[in-house]
Amino acid sequence: MKIYRCEVCGFEYDESQGWPDEGIAPGTKWEDIPEDWCCPDCGAAKADFVMVEVSPA
Amino acid sequence: MTAASGVDAASTIAVVGTGVAGTTAALTLRNAGFTGRVVLIGDEPDEPYRRPPLSKDVLRGTMSPGRTRLRAPDTWSQHSIELRTDTRVSGVDAEARRIIFADGTGLDFDRILLATGGLPKVLPQARGVGGVYTLRTLADVSALHGVLAAGSRLLVIGAGLIGSEVAATARDMDCAVTVLEAQPAPLSRVLPREITRVYEELHRASGVDLHTGVDVRELIHEGDQLAATDAGGRVHSADAAVVAVGLDPRTELAEHAGIATGDGIIVDEHFATSAPGVYAAGDVANHPNHVLGGRQRVEHWLNAQEQGAAAARAMLGDRTPYSCVPWSWSDQHGVTMHVCGWPEAAEDLTVRGEPGARDFTAIARRHGRVVGAVGMNRPAELRALRKVVSAAPHAEQAVLADPATELASLASLEVAGTSS
Repeated sequence: MKIYRCEVCGFEYDESQGWPDEGIAPGTKWEDIPEDWCCPDCGAAKADFVMVEVSPA
Repeated sequence: MTAASGVDAASTIAVVGTGVAGTTAALTLRNAGFTGRVVLIGDEPDEPYRRPPLSKDVLRGTMSPGRTRLRAPDTWSQHSIELRTDTRVSGVDAEARRIIFADGTGLDFDRILLATGGLPKVLPQARGVGGVYTLRTLADVSALHGVLAAGSRLLVIGAGLIGSEVAATARDMDCAVTVLEAQPAPLSRVLPREITRVYEELHRASGVDLHTGVDVRELIHEGDQLAATDAGGRVHSADAAVVAVGLDPRTELAEHAGIATGDGIIVDEHFATSAPGVYAAGDVANHPNHVLGGRQRVEHWLNAQEQGAAAARAMLGDRTPYSCVPWSWSDQHGVTMHVCGWPEAAEDLTVRGEPGARDFTAIARRHGRVVGAVGMNRPAELRALRKVVSAAPHAEQAVLADPATELASLASLEVAGTSS
């Protein structure tokens, strides 16, 4: 399970959590999210996300 | 690095401010190939962090403060950026190009970026009153979170972006929330009147006790209770209050250095101030507006980021004028809004979709030109419109309203040229 971070605002998509607010089930892989999906916060395009290593804080 | 930049591997660039403008500038200096010394100075004790989640997830307690860190802790040393947190600058000598720190030590620089941001405006009636909070820093949000519990009563003074978000978050936490706004509507500084109505309805439907057109005459704290008396004589009582009535740009370093100020630090389209070698960016920078003409100061996250990057490149000799269009977003009561350009400057508004259903894009025109937009649930349209606003083309309302119109195509239709 990977985490992808929006380069614009810092929002994080965690594959293990999914994004149930928009019907994306926990465990949904990044590549299985539609290309027209946007950052739920700042509205940036999916292409503006980068994969990151995130240590729990 | 060009010879024209006037800086080289022996130069020192100082950045004052560890918000997103300052930190982005420091990292951009490195990414652009600057090999001299970079010193990043901030008076907050925390490592650089993101402010947007403070009024939302962090206040609610659903995001730990550690998750707001802007970069991994080793980022700064990896980029040979000397990060000095908890460090107060007491003065800048622009002529001698020297910073004086509060502890009496100094730092010589070749270029300096003032990215000092701002502080919450003080409401004179609230000065020195107990139980009154503001929200700008991690320390602020931690203090406020500590007094909010389910059932507690929060009074929010000011329904701008921060006040409205704090009110929404406090409702999420099952607090009883009263909002007092001096203007006739919430968010009236950033949105056209038609759209502020959407927020009036949203706040009220979510259980916020919203009062608009109301000035606070007196605020009294007695026995753990706050009582705010409005100009109409009505008393609003609460356990705590948040004052969110805007931001004062931190211009004092520039002022004492004899640098031109006036609602912020005055800069040109390259973020240069009136003093050679001194630049300013972010919330504090008062810069030319390339679409509407005149000058402006923008207090949004993305603009601080873009300005920090552009100012860093300008300090290294890049002569590309800054022309980014403001972009912001707000989350309230589970609804996200995106804003681009200057919708508050609208002379007319074209609405696509249904504001009442919180699914719409509203396009603002001024002198027949597209100058801004606000939307809910339509981020792709808003992203297209940000490019359109940059070109500010003339467009008929019928064309803007037509669902068949590809908004992105408007950017290339006609470039308006210089602003009128």
